[in-house]
Amino acid sequence: MRSQRNVVSFLKKNQIIIASLVLALFSLHLALTGRQEVERGFVLREILSRTVSPMQRLMLGIQDSVKGVWSGYINLVDVQERNEELKKALTLVTEDNLRLKEEINLNARLKSILEYKDQLPHKSKAAVIIGFNKEPWARTVTIDKGSADGIAKDLAVISPLGVVGRVIDVSTHTSTVLLGSDLRSNIDVIVQRSRIKGVAEGNGTDGFLLKYIRQVDDVQLGDLVLTSGLSGVFPKGVAVGEVVKIEKGRDNFFKSIEVRPSVNIQRVEEVLVVTETGLYAEE
Amino acid sequence: MKEFLVFLPITIVYLALKSTILVNLPLPDLPLIIIFYMAYRRPTIEGALMGFVLGYLDDAFNGGIIGTSSFALVLIFLAMHLLAKKVQFSTPAFRAGGVAVVALIKGALTYSVLRFANVGVYFFTHVILMSLVTGILAPGIITLFQRLFSLFGPESFKGKAN
Repeated sequence: MRSQRNVVSFLKKNQIIIASLVLALFSLHLALTGRQEVERGFVLREILSRTVSPMQRLMLGIQDSVKGVWSGYINLVDVQERNEELKKALTLVTEDNLRLKEEINLNARLKSILEYKDQLPHKSKAAVIIGFNKEPWARTVTIDKGSADGIAKDLAVISPLGVVGRVIDVSTHTSTVLLGSDLRSNIDVIVQRSRIKGVAEGNGTDGFLLKYIRQVDDVQLGDLVLTSGLSGVFPKGVAVGEVVKIEKGRDNFFKSIEVRPSVNIQRVEEVLVVTETGLYAEE
Repeated sequence: MKEFLVFLPITIVYLALKSTILVNLPLPDLPLIIIFYMAYRRPTIEGALMGFVLGYLDDAFNGGIIGTSSFALVLIFLAMHLLAKKVQFSTPAFRAGGVAVVALIKGALTYSVLRFANVGVYFFTHVILMSLVTGILAPGIITLFQRLFSLFGPESFKGKAN
C-alpha cells in the first residue's frame, strides 16, 4: 500500500518530465518511421491536411486580393501621366492612319485616271476639283488648271466613269466647268443599243433629260447613253448615263426620257480636260 | 487551457503566413518562443502537450517530416522546465540569449533526427540564421505575450515575475 502511494507520488511529482519524455519518444517514433510506414500517424496527418491546406489557401487568397487592390486601385502612380502620353500617341497614330488612308485612296484614283488618260486617243490634262457651286440656277465646279496650263473655253471635262461637263470660264490658274446637269448644258448623245441620236439636257438637279426622241424610236429602260461626238466638244463614246424613266411626251411626238448620269459628281475629285478636240471628231 | 486557446490560433496564422506569403523572409521561430515562454512561466503537462502540437503543426505547414519539430520542442520544454528552477530569464538580454541558445539546440536536435532519417539539411544556412533571428526578436515577442495575458487578469500565470 505504501509502495503504491510512493509510486503515485513519484508520478505526480515528475508528471511533466514523464509526459514530456513520452511525447518526445512518440514524436521521435513518428519522425523516424513516418517515411517508411505511411499508415503510422495517418489519422493526424489526415486531420492536418484538412486544416492546413484551407488555411494556406485562405492566406494565398488574401494575398491575391491585397495584390489586386494594390495594383488596381492604390498603386496608380504615373498612371495619369502615362494616360496623357498614350492619348497623345493615339491621336498622332490616328492622324497618320487617316492621312495614309487618304493617300492610298488618292493613289488609287490617280492610277485609275492615268490609265484612262493613256487609253484616250487624244491629248488631255488632269485636274483636281477645288470648288463646287450647286446653286439652283448654276451647277458648276472649279478646277485647279487654267490658261497657264493650256485650258481653254468649251473644252470637254470627263472622268473615267463618263461626262462631267465643259469649260465655260478660264482664268490663269483655275477654270469653271459647267456640269452636264446644269440647265444650260446640251450634249449630243446616242443610245448605245439602238443607235438613236438625241440631246441630253441638264435637268437642273442631278440628272439629264433625253430630248428629241420620237415616240417610234426604240429606247428602253436601262439603255446606256453615250456622247455622239457630233457637237465637237465631247469625244465620241464617252458614257453619259442610263435611261431610268420613259414617258409619253406632252406633245405626243417626242418621248419624255430621264437619264441618270454615269458620274456622281459628289464622288469625283480628279478629272481630265480634253485639250485637243480635233482628234476625236466623228469621222 | 487559456494559453492553448490563445497560442494555437496565433501559431496557425503565423505558420500559414510563413508557408505562403512570407516564405522567403527570415522569420523568428514563434512555436519555439511560445514553448520557451510557457516552460519558464507555466511548466505544466499542458505545456508539454503544446510543444508536441505546435511542433506537429510546424512540420505540417512547412512540409517537414512529421515529428521532428515535435521531438525538439518537447525536449526543449523539458530542458527549460528543469533549467527554470535554477536560472531566471528576467531581463530581455537573458531571454534573447536563452531563446537563441534553445533555437540552436532545436536546430541541432532537428538536424540530428533528420540526418538519422537520411534527409539532407543545411545546418549552417538554415539553423543558425533561424536561431539568430529568433534570438533577436524573442524579447519583444515575449513582452507582447506578457501584455496579451495581462489583459486576462493578474492571476493568469502562476509566477508573475519579470
